[in-house]
Amino acid sequence: MSNIKIKSKNLNVYYGQKQALFDVNLDINEKEVTALIGPSGCGKSTFIRCINRMNDVIDICKVEGNIEIDGIEVNDKELDVVSLRERVGMVFQKPNPFPKSIYDNISYGPKIHGKGETKSELDEIVEKSLRKAALWEEVKDRLDEPGTGLSGGQQQRLCIARAISVNPEVILMDEPCSALDPIATAKIEELIDELKKTYTIVIVTHSMAQAVRVSQKTGFFHLGKVIEVGKTEKIFKNPDNKMTQDYITGRFG
Amino acid sequence: MSNEHTVKSYEEELQFLVDSVIKMGSLTESQMVDSMDAVIKVDKDSIDKIIKSDEEINKFRSKIDSQIMTLLVKRAPMAIDLRETISSLKISQDLERIGDLSKSNAKKVKPLPLDLPEELLANLKRLGELVIKQLNDVLDSYVNKNYDKAKEVWEKDEQVDDLTYIAMESVIDFLSKDKKNLDFSTHLIFATKNLERAGDHITNIAETICYLIKGEYLKGSRPKGKVIQE
Repeated sequence: MSNIKIKSKNLNVYYGQKQALFDVNLDINEKEVTALIGPSGCGKSTFIRCINRMNDVIDICKVEGNIEIDGIEVNDKELDVVSLRERVGMVFQKPNPFPKSIYDNISYGPKIHGKGETKSELDEIVEKSLRKAALWEEVKDRLDEPGTGLSGGQQQRLCIARAISVNPEVILMDEPCSALDPIATAKIEELIDELKKTYTIVIVTHSMAQAVRVSQKTGFFHLGKVIEVGKTEKIFKNPDNKMTQDYITGRFG
Repeated sequence: MSNEHTVKSYEEELQFLVDSVIKMGSLTESQMVDSMDAVIKVDKDSIDKIIKSDEEINKFRSKIDSQIMTLLVKRAPMAIDLRETISSLKISQDLERIGDLSKSNAKKVKPLPLDLPEELLANLKRLGELVIKQLNDVLDSYVNKNYDKAKEVWEKDEQVDDLTYIAMESVIDFLSKDKKNLDFSTHLIFATKNLERAGDHITNIAETICYLIKGEYLKGSRPKGKVIQE
């Protein structure tokens, strides 16, 4: 049995008057990939944004209920959000490297978290992170060039390297491949496979095939509720819930 | 199937695939009826027609294969659609094998004497009728996605085993009376065995249908009747 890394209990989220999540109970296993699927606006992104409190930046957003990482409540007002985000990295739909050099993109995080004191320490972190993100060989000779000059797929791997650089425990990915071509997508998926040995990964995806390929567990969201969670293989071969089946087979009307 | 697909052409492709399997099934069934009829009546004139119908069945098989390849590559089917697609692949394989066995039985009519004693054929006839009924029922359960009916067919194969045993015994008995009977008795033994094997393919189809409907395999081993030692 895998350990539970993240546990949400009766999680409710409101954007002003509108309720976005309804009593979400979901366990995310450690060092596994959990895929979240569901139609647009079903609450998957809202859910993962609760894990590193990205919803804090939205004034009208109100979060009720619990989300625990290793048994510690994420919504605790006393909790240091900066150190939370150090533990829980995030990669977004559109690659968003800083308008800085490739090197600075990676070294920025460790620097602000006080992780690389000397230049050689930072060099080591940059190389290690880029290697883990399978980007090192492609960029090692041009670390001082702007990150925004890379191809889309490389930029996304740079963002993954940036997330890894502060040595997080959890990586949240919000449709990380939706803007990438099939080869770049394949590279990211290959990378996710490798990263799950070290990190707990939660990925939001609109590609059923991708969810099958990369994840061990899948959760199906609909209208802010978790309809079904289970082993990925089970969900895509023989789901228990009719709504899940209708969604993954393209019968949603 | 539940609701319709958002993509209409996907819906049509799946339905077309299922229809092809049903058509192939009905061809296989009439071929088996004809072949059984030819054996019992020692009707040598119908042999060619039965061999020809096997070609038709084989053509269906390749047509279904190609439909499945297209579906897989175009739609990447999931859940019930995936099971439907894979099931049609498996069922069409079993149907093709059943077709081969019926053809093989038809070919055995050629060396048979026209004056075979009725009691010799009676047990073979009973076996043939049961296997035809099994095939009819299993195809029916496929058309109506009837789990209980498919399971019933699966369980009833025990009776096919028993009747095979009885039919074999009567042929062997006949053979032992006069060595002159050796030649065509051997053909009748093979024909009996072919029917039993067709029965096995029918139970495979029943298993596939159960998996298609519930998404899990039938538990436990199939009830088995008396078996001739090979």
